[in-house]
Amino acid sequence: MLDDHLIGVLSNMGMISFIALSAYLVLVVGEISFGQQAFFAVSAYASGIASAMWGWPFLAAVLWGAAVAGLAGLLLAIPTLRIRGLYFAIATLAFAEMVRLALEIFTYQVEQDGELVGPNGSEGFRDIRYIYEADISAGEFLLVILALLAATLAIILWIERTRLGAILRMVGEDPVLARLQGVNVNLAKIATVAAAGLVAGIGGALYAHLNTYVEPKIFNVMLGVHGLAYGLIGGLGTAFGPLLGVALDIGVLESTRAFSGYRMIVFGGLVAVLLIVRPRGLLDEAAVYRIRRFLLRKHAGD
Amino acid sequence: MLELHSLSKHFGGVRAVDDLSLTVGQGEIFGLIGPNGSGKSTTVNLICGVFPTTSGAVVFEGQDITDAPSHRVVAAGIGRTFQNIRLFGDLTVWQNLWVAQNSVEERQTGWLTRWLGGQRRGRDYAGELLKFAGLADRANELARNLAFGEQRRLEMARALAARPKLLLLDEPAAGMNAEEVSQLATRIRALRDHGMTILLVEHVMELVMGVTDRIAVLNFGQKIAEGAPAEIRSDPAVRTAYLGTADA
Repeated sequence: MLDDHLIGVLSNMGMISFIALSAYLVLVVGEISFGQQAFFAVSAYASGIASAMWGWPFLAAVLWGAAVAGLAGLLLAIPTLRIRGLYFAIATLAFAEMVRLALEIFTYQVEQDGELVGPNGSEGFRDIRYIYEADISAGEFLLVILALLAATLAIILWIERTRLGAILRMVGEDPVLARLQGVNVNLAKIATVAAAGLVAGIGGALYAHLNTYVEPKIFNVMLGVHGLAYGLIGGLGTAFGPLLGVALDIGVLESTRAFSGYRMIVFGGLVAVLLIVRPRGLLDEAAVYRIRRFLLRKHAGD
Repeated sequence: MLELHSLSKHFGGVRAVDDLSLTVGQGEIFGLIGPNGSGKSTTVNLICGVFPTTSGAVVFEGQDITDAPSHRVVAAGIGRTFQNIRLFGDLTVWQNLWVAQNSVEERQTGWLTRWLGGQRRGRDYAGELLKFAGLADRANELARNLAFGEQRRLEMARALAARPKLLLLDEPAAGMNAEEVSQLATRIRALRDHGMTILLVEHVMELVMGVTDRIAVLNFGQKIAEGAPAEIRSDPAVRTAYLGTADA
């Protein structure tokens, strides 16, 4: 039904969407993170270890990877609580590089059927063979990715409609004022950064299992920069924003090869232009408000 | 109800608030006036825990809230408005009220319902507040799209949403015309009649002299006079520091 190329593109879009949503959550509470790839990496390794070395079932491995990434988020959130803006951004970048460099020296191997399995420093982590052993096709795995993405997106969209969603937007817009509404700003930030780690972690676990091989240098800063840029392009008014960013970059620029070698130049230019023209992205709060009002009016008219 | 004991705040060498003591009684409308830079807004910020005090204490209903984080101060029953309007522009009028309202009112309920409750919860009280502020038909508008006067009223409604016992109004009449000021005075009296205590920081003399029970005058961070509006009006120290120049 779908050709391999299309399946590959859609799978990539699905997996990077988790990083985009993760960076978006941090942006909603008013901070910029260049380090969400760290949680992607942590979970890729943790879930790979669980399925390939400990023999855990796939879904349990994904949840475990996401949980470990969430914990890593907590680890980042607590010491960075008192810094904001540029300083927070630099701290996330440093954190992600620390994680990547730690993975370069992280070795944990066991012998299975006469072969050594497990992360081996900068050599990477081979043979995360779950999808071969379970005989899952790329198309089927794409469905798994999309199902998990839809579930994650649904939860985020639902939270945005609750009071917690309003609280997070308040924290992002004016933390001092939010505090004066009785909001525990510190708690909201810690919880959000931890949740963002978890979301990126789901994507990381999927990535490790689809590719069967991960190595530290995949998780370099460009991965995080892309994840961050998707929210800034697509818009910060709704969780659909970062997905729109992903669709524009990977779906249009990369996969159609419209600009071939100039893609990154076009992408960078797009980010720069949007930051000037629409600092909160295409689907910013005002746009979302207008769309919602339009839909409500149409609904009422029927 | 609210007691300040030798409250001081120094920014470097500047004594923004210097050894300020005053007591606001239950149900009072208390005015805090003084020339620009005399420390009025700083006092409000110290009460709310926006920044730490240098020395002294803030006691609210017998409870020491000196340097408590702002969300605790709100939970204790103090609400405030800002000198420059501060709203959440990207949230709707209704959402601006919603969070503060629930932060206190639903403290008894579990955190799950408090955080994840939908829009319908407690609509009545917020609706009442919107009516009080004359914004009932604007509930679903983004706050940034409101006119100036509407934004001021929303700010006051939001301060009320957490059901404070003490309301700190930081120059609520700034930029208002005479008619709006008289409407504001009516609202302030109505709040007091509902049992609220009010600390009014203000420049507009007609408002302060018209509605307050007692007034304290600050100059260079220090209290130079305290008394009923009539006494303040005739106090020679106040006239030279403040009113004298205004009258001239």
